[in-house]
Amino acid sequence: MPRLILFEIKKMLSRRVALAANVGVIVFLVAIMALNVTQNRTVSFAGEEFNGVEALAYNRSEDEKHAGVVTAERAAEDIAAYQEMVFSRIDRDAVGEMTGAAVYSLIAQSFSPEEVDDLYNVYWNWLLRPWRTAGEEPAQTAARVTPEMAANWYGATDDLTQDALDDGQGGMWEYSEDEREYWTAKQASVPEPIEYGYSGGWDNIVSCFAFLVFAILAVCITLAPVFSFEYQSGADAVVLATRHGRTRLVAAKVLAALAYATAYFAVCAAIVVGVSLAFYGADGFGLSIQSMSLSSPYPLTAGQAALVSVGLMYAACLGLACLTLALSSRARSTLPVFVTDVVLVLFTGLIPSAGVGILERALALFPLNFSNFTMLFSAFESYPVGLVVFDLIGMILVVYAVLAIVATPVAAASFRRHQVS
Amino acid sequence: MELVFDRLTKEYGAKIAVDRVCATLGPGVHGLLGANGAGKTTLMRMACGVLRPTSGEVRFDGAPIERMGGDYRALLGYLPQDFGYYPEFTALDFMEYLAALKGIGRRAARERSLELLAAVGLSGEERRRIRTFSGGMKQRLGIAQAVLNDPAVLVLDEPTAGLDPKERVRFRNLIASFAQDKVVLLSTHIVSDVESIADDILMMRAGALVLSGRPGELVSKAEGRVWEAVVPAGRVEELEASLTVSNVRHLEGGRALLRYVADEPKVPGSAPAEPTLEDLYLYVFRDGAAGAGSPRAARGAHFKEGYHA
Repeated sequence: MPRLILFEIKKMLSRRVALAANVGVIVFLVAIMALNVTQNRTVSFAGEEFNGVEALAYNRSEDEKHAGVVTAERAAEDIAAYQEMVFSRIDRDAVGEMTGAAVYSLIAQSFSPEEVDDLYNVYWNWLLRPWRTAGEEPAQTAARVTPEMAANWYGATDDLTQDALDDGQGGMWEYSEDEREYWTAKQASVPEPIEYGYSGGWDNIVSCFAFLVFAILAVCITLAPVFSFEYQSGADAVVLATRHGRTRLVAAKVLAALAYATAYFAVCAAIVVGVSLAFYGADGFGLSIQSMSLSSPYPLTAGQAALVSVGLMYAACLGLACLTLALSSRARSTLPVFVTDVVLVLFTGLIPSAGVGILERALALFPLNFSNFTMLFSAFESYPVGLVVFDLIGMILVVYAVLAIVATPVAAASFRRHQVS
Repeated sequence: MELVFDRLTKEYGAKIAVDRVCATLGPGVHGLLGANGAGKTTLMRMACGVLRPTSGEVRFDGAPIERMGGDYRALLGYLPQDFGYYPEFTALDFMEYLAALKGIGRRAARERSLELLAAVGLSGEERRRIRTFSGGMKQRLGIAQAVLNDPAVLVLDEPTAGLDPKERVRFRNLIASFAQDKVVLLSTHIVSDVESIADDILMMRAGALVLSGRPGELVSKAEGRVWEAVVPAGRVEELEASLTVSNVRHLEGGRALLRYVADEPKVPGSAPAEPTLEDLYLYVFRDGAAGAGSPRAARGAHFKEGYHA
């Protein structure tokens, strides 16, 4: 069996198209991840410009200024300190009546560049998130926050979940009682206090794991001919007439496909993860996912969120690999298999949900759509299935597991029963 | 050891590709002759278990091959017509891959592969990619893979296609040396390929076996039906259109020696000639065999029904 598996892998990878796709995607990933570092650019309010690794270091230093455990007391104290700093020079009552742009100009005129840098540290935006409305400057939000409100920072944070459920994704989805209970319970499981800080490497993985869609595509291209080429070339008559042609060969093909898909995905994931951690740093693995997005109801750390993201992509990769095998076992040409894969992997990312909740939930299951932090961890995508509620993460795992479980026997049975004609 | 075709039939909708073929093949070389589309390939696919019959069955030593599954395939060697290969594999890769599929151990596979590649004249080409091979080289590789597992049943579908005369001779010798105590079924539409090595000939027409027997016996069936006549060279074309002509040899003085098959002499001055297997073949298919896939109702009468296997 191991010999057959090796031959099958050799067969897959010796095809020129497969070789080009595999090498091409790896080169693309290396290039895009390198550009992701070298093209990084940050300009401070003092006018200092940072590029590449300097920009990364600057962002790290900005995040580390406020690193630490954010207890309720610290949250209240920090909000009070921010209010004191901002409203020492501008009128607290006036900012509420101004536009965001006017407030920004006012702050820029009233404070030194270094002070503006501090006032626009992303920490303040994050800390004031429970009360912030869209398009608001942090100073405008801070103007509305009373000491009592600030003292109840965790309560206000919890309310973000309820607000999101009431909002129903902007009216697109009406959450059932079961779904509301599900999300409320999940949010309640978030450990407190939240730890804030720098987790740039893990953040970058979450930002870049969408590129792994191309790895999935390369896997599909490579696997598309696994069975269909046998039919197309006429080799089916030779192999099916051999002792193990209808038994071990099928198993060898499936195992070779999954082994290759796993190894190739691992290489591609290693590029995304490796470059991110090497240049952005591996610090902050244990920071709360809420330090990345306060409204996330998940009890995860930043590092876990990154690994879950990559893991889901791997699940999709295996599911689609098995689907490709099933299609390949039923098709006499690789073209329809390849076209189906491209539609599922790439084109589904271009279809708008048009505000239709069901459609959005269906589309969210495709790799290009779920490969962003918001969709996975803070969009409250839930799937009530009978008495059970799945979140997007669970549903992705279920869908691709079912796909693999159904598609693999279909592939095996189709090849075993194939009639040469 | 025997391979039995028991009322083997394959239908594709209303078309009948193979029509209730019955035959018992013992050890030796069995040449399957028939025009293109006669159903030879379909019959051979069913014999190899890669195509399920519509009805009837193939049995090996009394056991249906469908039930034997891998046990039967372990005894089988098969060279399909238009045999498929993996273009980026080297000849040795291909042989070792097939050896793995046939359950041959790694070391034995290497030794046997090299030995067979040498036997089919591919020595020194083991590491070359198959896509760089000529048609004849690919065909020789196909022959080598078919005998990798020293099969008890060897099915060769048009094995000499693409081979030059020298390679054909080499192939015939290889099969003759291999065939002892084995069932070899070899299809071709080139009579000379089987004439010298076949112990038994089966002729197919329109999906049915129309004639079978030892070559000598079969040839005798054509006795009294092969004629030679000297005709003016100018008439050759006209006679070729109306007769089943097996050979024309131009003579001096604007004449030609015409050899043809017919139940009775058709040209004045015809003299009976010694028949060959090729004459018989031409006689059987003299009216342009109805192609395979003929609806059952349209099936023509077989030549000498009494000779059916």
